Amino acid sequence: MTETKTTEMNEITIATDVLIIGGGLTGVKTASDIAELGYNVLLIEKNSEIGNPKQLPGSIFGLNKGEDKGLQDLVDRVMTDDRIEVYTQMSLISVTGVPGDFNIRLSKGDDVIEYKVGAIVVATDFSLETLNEKYGLGLSENVITQSRMEAILALEEERKKILETYPRNIAFLVGFGQNATPLVNERVMRSILAISEIDGCNVYVYVSDIKVASDSLERMYKEGREKGAIYFKLKEIPRITQNGERLNIAFFDPVIRRNIELASDLLVIEEAICADPINRELAELLRIDLGPGGFLQNENVHFFPVHSNREGIFVVGSSRQVQNLPWAWTDVENVALEVKDLLGDGKKMVPKDTAVVDRGKCAMCLTCYRCCPHGAIYWDSRAIISSVACQGCGICASECPNNAIQIGGFNDIQIIEEIKKSVEQPGNGEPCMIAFCCENSAFEAAQMAKAFKMHLPTGLHIIKVPCAGKVDIHYIMTAFVEGADGVLVMACYQGNCKSERGNTHAGLRVDNVHRMLEETGFEKDRLRFATIASNMGREFSSIVLDLENRIRELGASPLKT
Amino acid sequence: MNTESKKAMVIGGGIAGLTAAWEMSKFGIEVDLVEKASFLGGHAIQFCCKATDECQQCGACSVEKMLKNVVNEPLIKIHHSTEIEKVQSNEKFLVSLKKDPEYIDPAKCNNCGICFEKCPVEGALMRGYSKNNMPLYAICEENCLFIKNKSCTVCQDACPEKAIELNKTGSLDELDVDAIILATGFQPFDATEKPTYGYGKFNNVITGMDLERSIRENGSGVRTSDGKEPHNVAFIQCVGSRDEHLGNLWCSQACCPYALRMSEVIKYKNPDTDITIFYMDIQNTGNNFENFYEKCKSDLRFIRNIPVDIYPMEDDRLRIRYMGEDDGLPVDEEFDLIVLSIGIMPGLDNGKLSELFGINLNQDGFFLSTDKLNKCTTSKEGIFVAGTAEGPKIIAASMAHAGQAACEAMKYLEATK
Repeated sequence: MTETKTTEMNEITIATDVLIIGGGLTGVKTASDIAELGYNVLLIEKNSEIGNPKQLPGSIFGLNKGEDKGLQDLVDRVMTDDRIEVYTQMSLISVTGVPGDFNIRLSKGDDVIEYKVGAIVVATDFSLETLNEKYGLGLSENVITQSRMEAILALEEERKKILETYPRNIAFLVGFGQNATPLVNERVMRSILAISEIDGCNVYVYVSDIKVASDSLERMYKEGREKGAIYFKLKEIPRITQNGERLNIAFFDPVIRRNIELASDLLVIEEAICADPINRELAELLRIDLGPGGFLQNENVHFFPVHSNREGIFVVGSSRQVQNLPWAWTDVENVALEVKDLLGDGKKMVPKDTAVVDRGKCAMCLTCYRCCPHGAIYWDSRAIISSVACQGCGICASECPNNAIQIGGFNDIQIIEEIKKSVEQPGNGEPCMIAFCCENSAFEAAQMAKAFKMHLPTGLHIIKVPCAGKVDIHYIMTAFVEGADGVLVMACYQGNCKSERGNTHAGLRVDNVHRMLEETGFEKDRLRFATIASNMGREFSSIVLDLENRIRELGASPLKT
Repeated sequence: MNTESKKAMVIGGGIAGLTAAWEMSKFGIEVDLVEKASFLGGHAIQFCCKATDECQQCGACSVEKMLKNVVNEPLIKIHHSTEIEKVQSNEKFLVSLKKDPEYIDPAKCNNCGICFEKCPVEGALMRGYSKNNMPLYAICEENCLFIKNKSCTVCQDACPEKAIELNKTGSLDELDVDAIILATGFQPFDATEKPTYGYGKFNNVITGMDLERSIRENGSGVRTSDGKEPHNVAFIQCVGSRDEHLGNLWCSQACCPYALRMSEVIKYKNPDTDITIFYMDIQNTGNNFENFYEKCKSDLRFIRNIPVDIYPMEDDRLRIRYMGEDDGLPVDEEFDLIVLSIGIMPGLDNGKLSELFGINLNQDGFFLSTDKLNKCTTSKEGIFVAGTAEGPKIIAASMAHAGQAACEAMKYLEATK
């Protein structure tokens, strides 16, 4: 079995300043926590103030009255902290380099400032989208947004004028214009509780699914109903028509099973809580993934909670998902640990040979730069792999057309040696199978199958690779040439690859080899590609046994000597 | 944060406890990890991978990975089968531990499994769920014949490594620690509390936890009566959660995700299986929920109604009566397998632990986090809470919360240096 041995270490000096993008409350808290660890922080905000630069309504933070007390102090502290430089009206224009050594350029009007930072944290805000058009309604005095409702409730004068003058029916529409999140529902529930304090207001809520999968929401939902709010859970958008000053809402009530029409004086339309549109631009500048919904994190469990797909670039709070402030604060403390772990005291021990470019062989084709999922590769006159950013997956090594890259612990000579040794072992007539197993998934599943005494073929030889993306075509061919009866390439599931695309590269290479084998008349069934997870010992066993059965049908490899 | 030479204790070896211990060990802190069960990993280590042709982000594999990290980390000392007896606090915490006998010596055991194969009594030798459980086997005192009446030493005699000593006695231990993280997890809702569902009485009525284990062990969900794959399956959501009659006024947050994901796994493995989800409100799974839910809606049948009764049929099938969505009339329908999507309840020991540590529970019986903007603060300085001990959470959220608790504990250690 190949042991990952990268014992020889180098000490390098890295930059320890930290750039935080986004001066909303989450960005402010991140600045404060990271500065507290002793690092210098640059906090940049596009707008002219920090704290809540977009003037988002307070309800979006998910706090009760009084719970937001310390927030202004926090903002003030950050403004005066010696370790924190706050730049408002400042934008990021370029980022080059690698973790521990990012070169960033910032601009404020025509001024351009350059900095070197060790790590970057993205803390962009939400943006709110009004959804009245999804309901086919224009906004007016009696068709208003959730934010407007909150503004009315917050101002004594407005409240008196609009809600307290005469008894009113107030309708909320939620979950028809979007797949709402708990936070969207929470805003409505908070408004309902505030309205329940006002005499003469009746509240009706038209909702698709009530999203209560967040702290205390079920209780808040119940409280609202106890205070008189009536919920109608509908499958379709209710029909809304103008009736003089009022609006009629027509729908089929699934509980009493009748068509109902209710008049309403004020219609409150849900808002979508969306990713900041600036995320798209940042994703490009930072070379990180833009995930579903425009949030800056792909749904890959290896990244949760605060990792992006690039080492040294982190995402927190609303930059990565819809979450309230208490959960964003949780992200912040996680990112503080990550930054400390990465930057330490500025002296970092890194393995000498995680991935090494043979400068004599490198032809500067930059295939490696393009295929590296970690953004770990840069260049001078030859490609260079950052030992801080490199995760050792080996995709670059396998893709390099000139074979100029070697991975420590998994170099080609070692692996070819291992293939040969495996095939040479006496098999007593049993099919000889080589399984190249990703150490994150298939290798673990194999260990599980062994520990749990699941059935495994006696002629199975497992070769550990750092990622299925490190399985060269040459390895597969060598296995067959040396006389293996079958070869398996086992990768992580789509979306579960620690290096994002290692499994895709592996699958494509197996496709290639299949085509080559077909052309030569060699049974392509002897080579299989499979995806698996670390906790699937049972599946591991059934995948390898299935190949063994197929090989028994095919007989020994024609290349066997 | 210069926290070296400080010691922390993490109570509970589920995903939150493992994560908290691991995060602190990364910064040189010695951690005592105390787990009352024989194995680390908590409930989540029993969960199955829910990938179809692609990963569905359930996080079950993260638990394997974290367990592997922890068992290989020399700074983390693991105390299996250990309960907290007493806690005294002045500047530090002096924690008295009661340890069950360590019948299988982890230093000698090589997980060969011969004891498990030879043991003549069902359930007397237990096996963990993960290969990363070291040892993978443990003696169950309730069922072991030697412990009952010294009548059997089969495992001890068979062990080639001489790792088993059935005569071992338990021990008491006292540990001085500077900070404590409570990560004692949750109790899955006891489905027998809803007797009309017949859990434990009728064949083929199982819980979501049972289905997790079944898929993990067999690769698919099978009927308890004959071990065969079902042709049609019903999931009943919100069993124990969002239930005013039981006083459980919370959404467990994990059940919609697990039910939908496992339904998709069953459907992927056997597209002919018909699956019905009885629900109140479907909760989200993640940023990609919109697409995922569309797929679910095309693969599964959703009925907004929570049935009250399940009736057993002669052929081990089950009949459910529910109110039809179109006409409001009662519908009777038969299923091969019914999965009760049980929720997350406060840990059974929460009351006792809250007394021992002198910290408060919230109105639902979970540990109270006293600061809305710091979800891991308890009512006592130096004690932090992580994971589902504080309230329902999915795996990813438990891990994030544990990271926060680790960070807070380290800030506290720094401050009290």
